[in-house]
Amino acid sequence: MNHNLLTVSSSPHILGSMTVRSMHLELMVALLPALLTGVYFFGLPAAITVAIAVVAAVAAEWAACKIAKLPNRIDDLHSLTMGLMMGLVLPPGAPWWLPLIGSVLAVVLGKMIFGGLGAYPMNPVIIAWAALSISWPEQMNAFLAPVPIGSGGEWETATTFLMDLKDDVGLVMDPELGPLWWGNTPGAIGATGAWALIVGGLYLVIRGIVPWQIPLGTLLGAAAMALLASYIDPGVIEVELEGFAAHLDVVWLHLGTGGLMIAAFFLAPEPVSSPVTPWGMIIYGLGIGLMAVIVRFWGTMVDGVFYGVLLMNAVTPLLDRIRPRVLGKVMSSA
Amino acid sequence: MSFTSCFKGIKRARPPEPTGPVVLKPPEKVFLPLRQHRGQTCEPVVEVGQDVAMGQVVGSSDEFESAAVLASVSGRVEGLVEMPDPSGQLIPTLIIANDGQDTWQDPPQAVVTSAEEVTAKRPTRLLKPIRQAGLVRAAIQGLPLHVDLSPPMAPRSYLFMTGMPVTRQVDTLVVKAVDPDPPICPNHACLKLGGPELEIGILALARIAGATEVIVVHPAGAELGEMAEMAKNHLWNLSAVSPTKYPFTTDNLLIHHLTGREVPTPYGEPRDVGVVIEPLQTALEVGTLLLGGRPSLERVFSVAGDVANPQTFRVRLGTPVSQVLAAAGGPTAGVAKAVLGGPMMGYAHYDLDTPVTKETEGLFIQCDSNLVHYEDHPCIHCGRCVRACPVNLIPSELGKLCEFKHFDKAMEMDLFHCIECGVCAYVCPARRPMVHLLRHGKTELLAGRMEE
Repeated sequence: MNHNLLTVSSSPHILGSMTVRSMHLELMVALLPALLTGVYFFGLPAAITVAIAVVAAVAAEWAACKIAKLPNRIDDLHSLTMGLMMGLVLPPGAPWWLPLIGSVLAVVLGKMIFGGLGAYPMNPVIIAWAALSISWPEQMNAFLAPVPIGSGGEWETATTFLMDLKDDVGLVMDPELGPLWWGNTPGAIGATGAWALIVGGLYLVIRGIVPWQIPLGTLLGAAAMALLASYIDPGVIEVELEGFAAHLDVVWLHLGTGGLMIAAFFLAPEPVSSPVTPWGMIIYGLGIGLMAVIVRFWGTMVDGVFYGVLLMNAVTPLLDRIRPRVLGKVMSSA
Repeated sequence: MSFTSCFKGIKRARPPEPTGPVVLKPPEKVFLPLRQHRGQTCEPVVEVGQDVAMGQVVGSSDEFESAAVLASVSGRVEGLVEMPDPSGQLIPTLIIANDGQDTWQDPPQAVVTSAEEVTAKRPTRLLKPIRQAGLVRAAIQGLPLHVDLSPPMAPRSYLFMTGMPVTRQVDTLVVKAVDPDPPICPNHACLKLGGPELEIGILALARIAGATEVIVVHPAGAELGEMAEMAKNHLWNLSAVSPTKYPFTTDNLLIHHLTGREVPTPYGEPRDVGVVIEPLQTALEVGTLLLGGRPSLERVFSVAGDVANPQTFRVRLGTPVSQVLAAAGGPTAGVAKAVLGGPMMGYAHYDLDTPVTKETEGLFIQCDSNLVHYEDHPCIHCGRCVRACPVNLIPSELGKLCEFKHFDKAMEMDLFHCIECGVCAYVCPARRPMVHLLRHGKTELLAGRMEE
C-alpha cells in the first residue's frame, strides 16, 4: 500500500487563469485609454478628481468591512475599479468633496449594504452618480472646456454638446464629429473620448470579460433610435436635413457624445447587475440604447444613458428568465 | 458545428500527437476487480490457491448487464480482497501472481478470417464471442459491450410506459478516434495500431448494431495511417473535429454535431436516436477477438500531466497504476493528485495502487505546484459559465441554488441535464467549485427519491 496522502476533489482538476482580481486588473487596463484621454484634455483637475474617487472608494470599502466585521476583500480590486469608474463619470475640476461623497455612496450604499460583490441589484457607480446629480446638479453640470496638455490655455467652464443640443436642435446640421469622437469637447472625464473607450471595450470583448451582446445591443439600440428620431422629431424636421447621410450624421453624433460609450462598454456590462443569457443581454443593451436617445430628444434631462442602465438593471432578474433551450431536453426525456 | 456552439465550451491547448502505444511488461501481480463495467458485480468462480491460465474466466455473473472477468496473466490466485476500484469504491478483487509463462487456456479460435466474412455472418454469431470474452466499452462507466450493442429493443423501462416494447432502429455507427478529455488520448493513439483488426472490428460493430452508415471521427490534423484507405474502401465517412475545443468530443455533443440529433438527457442514450457510438479502442478489441480468436487482455492507457515522459502504453488489465506511472518515468515532483481519466472529468483517486481496468482510460498526475484550489467566493453573476455551458444551462444559478439547498428549485432549472463537463468551473473567475455544487444537488435529490 502506498501511504502518500493524495488530494481528492471533484473535477475539474485544472482551472482557467482568470480570477476576480485579474478580471478587475484587465478592466482597469481597458479604462486606461479613456483615463489618459481625459487627463490629456482636462489636465490636473481631472487627475485630482479621479485620484480622490479611487482613494475614497478603497478607504470606504476597508472601513465598511471593518465596521461590519466582514472578511476584507480589497485585494480583489473591485473597489479600486469602482473608484476609477466613479471618477471617470464626474466632470473634471469638480469640488473635492464631490468624488469623495460619490465613491463613498457607491461603495457603501451601492455595494456593501447589499452584501458586497455579487449581491447588489444595480450598478453602484451609477447609483452614486444619480444621487450626486440629483443632489448637486450645479456642481455636476459644471464642465470645463478642454485644454490639451501643453497648449497653455486657461480653465473655463463650458457646456457640453448635449446641453447645447437641448437648447438648439439646429446643431444637428453639419456637426463637427471629429472633436466629439476624439474627446476634444467639454464633458465628463472618461466619457468624452469615444475612440479610447472603444479601444478599451474591444479589448474586453476579445478577452471575454465583456459579452459582445451588451455593447452591441446598446449601440444598435441607440443608433436605431437616433435614426428614427431624426425623421420624426418635430425639431429636427424643421431643420430639414437633406439626404440619408445627414440623418446618419445624427446617429454618429449621438453615439459619440455623452456617456453612451462608457455605458455601453463599461457600465452596462458590469457583471453583477447585468443579465447572463444571450437574448437577455441583447434586450438589455437595446433597452439602454433606446432609453438614452429617447431622453436626449424628449426628456427633461440632458443625457438618459445612465438612467437607462439603472432602469434595465431593475429589469435584469426578468431578463434572466429568457433562457436558451437546454440541449438534450426533448420530449422523450420528460 | 452550429453557429452558436462556436462560442460555447473552452479552448484548450492542443495535445501533442501521441506516439503508438508502448507494450508494458506484465506485472508480478495483477489485481482484477470483479466489476469492471457499469452493472452487476461478478461472482468469483476460482478458488484461492488455484492455478489459472490467461483468458480463463475468473469471475462471472448470470445477470445480463455484466461482463465476465478474465485472468490477464497465467499464475496462481493469491487472494480475494476488497480493494478500491478506479471509481474509489471497494470491490472484491482477485489477486493473481504472475508465473511469467503467459500460457493461454485455449488455442485461438478465429471467428472470421476476412472482411467479407463479417458481412456474411449472422450478427448473433458475432455477438456471442464478445459476450463470452467479457468485452466492455472502453470508457468511464462503460456498459458491457454486448449490452451496448445487442438487442435494438429497449431494455429500459421508461420506454415501456405504454406497455409496448419500442424497437429502436439503429442506423449510424460512430467510431471515435477522438478523446473526450485530452491529454489522455488512448483512442487517438489507437489510430497508430491500424491493421486488419481495426477494419474487421468496425465492420463487425456496424453489422451487430445494424448500422448502415459508419462515421469515423478523428482529431483534425491527425495522421490517419491505414484508416484513410479503409474508409475509402468501405465508404465510411471520415469526419475531423477540433481536438482543442472542449467538451465537444463527449458522446452526446459529438452525436449532435455529426448527425444533428439530440440524445435525450438525463435518462436517454445514443441508441434512442439511432446511433451507436464506440471508442476506437473497442473496435480494435472486437477485431482482435474475432480475427485472432483470443480476447484482448490489455488496455491502452495514457499517462500525462507532471510526469517525466507522458506516454501511452498497452497495459495488462489489473496492473497497478503506480507501475504504469513508474514506466512513464515517474512524477516530476511529489504526486499531489492522481486523477484517473483526464484533467477535466477525471476522478481524483486516493490510492495509486488501484488497478488498470476495462473502464480506465488514463492517469493524469499533478504535483503540488500545479494543484488548483477552489475558493469560497460568492458568485459574481458575470455569466461566463452561461456563455461556456455546452448544454445551455445557467450554471451560476444552479450553483447558488444547490449551495443553499434549494434542490427542488434547481431540478426545475434542469439540473439533471448537466453533463458535468466542468467547463463552468474552469471559466469561473470566482473559482467556485461548480461541478462539486451541482453534483451535491444531484446526489441529494436522488437520495431524497430513494427515501420516497
